[in-house]
Amino acid sequence: MSPSSLTRSKLPLSGRIVMFFIRHIQHATASMGELWRTPVSSIMTMAVLGVSLSLPAALQVLVKNVENITHSWSSAAQISLFIDGSRSEQSIQSLIARIKVYPEISDIKYITRAQALAEFQQQSGFGDALSYLDENPLPAVVIVTPSSRYSTPVGARELLAKLEQEPEVSFGRLDIEWLEKLQALVNVLERTVFGLAALLILAVVLVIGNTIRLAIMNRRNEIEVMKLVGATEAFIQRPFLYTGIWYGVIGGTLAWLIINLLVWFLSGAVTTFIGLYGSNMQLQSLSFSELLQMVCAASFLGWLGSYLSVRQHLRAIEPS
Amino acid sequence: MIRFEQVSKIYPGGQKALTEVNFHLQRGEMAFLTGHSGAGKSTLLKLITVIERASAGKVYINGHDIAHIKRQHVPYLRRQIGMIFQNHHLLMDRSVFDNVALPLVIEGFSLGEIRKRVAGALDMVGLYGKERHYPIMLSGGEQQRVGIARAIVNKPALLLADEPTGNLDPKLSMDILRLFETFNDAGTSVLIATHDLGLIARMKYRTLTLRQGRMIGGEADIVESLSD
Repeated sequence: MSPSSLTRSKLPLSGRIVMFFIRHIQHATASMGELWRTPVSSIMTMAVLGVSLSLPAALQVLVKNVENITHSWSSAAQISLFIDGSRSEQSIQSLIARIKVYPEISDIKYITRAQALAEFQQQSGFGDALSYLDENPLPAVVIVTPSSRYSTPVGARELLAKLEQEPEVSFGRLDIEWLEKLQALVNVLERTVFGLAALLILAVVLVIGNTIRLAIMNRRNEIEVMKLVGATEAFIQRPFLYTGIWYGVIGGTLAWLIINLLVWFLSGAVTTFIGLYGSNMQLQSLSFSELLQMVCAASFLGWLGSYLSVRQHLRAIEPS
Repeated sequence: MIRFEQVSKIYPGGQKALTEVNFHLQRGEMAFLTGHSGAGKSTLLKLITVIERASAGKVYINGHDIAHIKRQHVPYLRRQIGMIFQNHHLLMDRSVFDNVALPLVIEGFSLGEIRKRVAGALDMVGLYGKERHYPIMLSGGEQQRVGIARAIVNKPALLLADEPTGNLDPKLSMDILRLFETFNDAGTSVLIATHDLGLIARMKYRTLTLRQGRMIGGEADIVESLSD
């Protein structure tokens, strides 16, 4: 008997390939049945996974909504260009005509000196004092709204520098500090979410790993017998891997349901809250495609957890 | 079929189980392996099935040295050996059918083929019609025969039995041995480890005797020299 004959199967290749898939289906359904047979412990494990997965998912929903809000706010970033007082009305119009074609700019609003004065009188409360002045001290202002690509702090600053090159512009101002702060805050939030999500995902892997470890210990005798009659490790571990995948699939679906319930529970209150700020934004939940993503990710985690467990514990079980 | 060359086995901790064992079991031969408890019978069988590995020397199965066989090849080797145990190693929560079918399921046979072969194996051991029983519902002798059916269902070239009659009365023991004879007649090599000397005396087969880990009696050597 040569080394190759030692590993040769008694079946033809085509039969082995067909049986490979049949075995996979059988193992998948059998491990589902195994979970069904011990409903209480299975449900407990799945609930733990669902809750653990729902936390990162909830954070994901939070980030998604905050990004949505900040996105609508960031478009409010504006650049005020103060025009040199010696410039004529005609040169101001030519400036406006020139910068209007900039691709970075989405909108331009021109406030003449007279308009600026009127507005200042109205809003500042110095109306009477101003009337004592011989001359209008306020410059004309061109308010530029950058296009969405240039409304980020960095982009807007770039655009400001470019506009300040125009000879009519004495200086420009960009009120962006609050936007930078907000973005920094969103960054902190995102990092926190990422860190927490990583921890919770680790928890999911460990929970599944431990559950599978117990399942392996319970079937120790069976595993020994299977090894004795020539089962490969791949064959023995397959049902456990499918069990892990099932845990993931059901845990992921559960988490998606929990999130949708949570959003539904919160949406009334949040809509009222946002409404007070004059916005009619809707609280966003997780879509169907995100359900698929979650289930895929969760089943991968289930597979990973059981794989790590199986690798470690199946080897240790040897017939004696 | 099985050839041991200067095989020694020392367990971790220094316990010497086998010392320089030589023997050769011909293809199609049936033989007994005897010795007192602790003489090394079980260790010898474990070396053949790679449950343990030899500390020194060479173990050939079918001409292939298995002392350094790769871990992932061990299952395929075991599929070619039918093993029967004193405590039968049956799965108590599975039916007789499932127990006997296990090696075929592992090998990847279709359900139709499995049904046919399991029925054939159960028929051979006289348990036809008990597929749906659970091992717990069967007597000790019947349980042992389920184990035998599982060992032969895959038509292995070699049958190993470790104290197959250990828990059985003489009548049942003889039945089991007759069963092994029929497999041997069909061309299967059979090695039976037993300390039941009365049983061996009534049969005409070669006897390999172990004492304190050494193969004693020139019989093995004579047969080997004749075959070479």
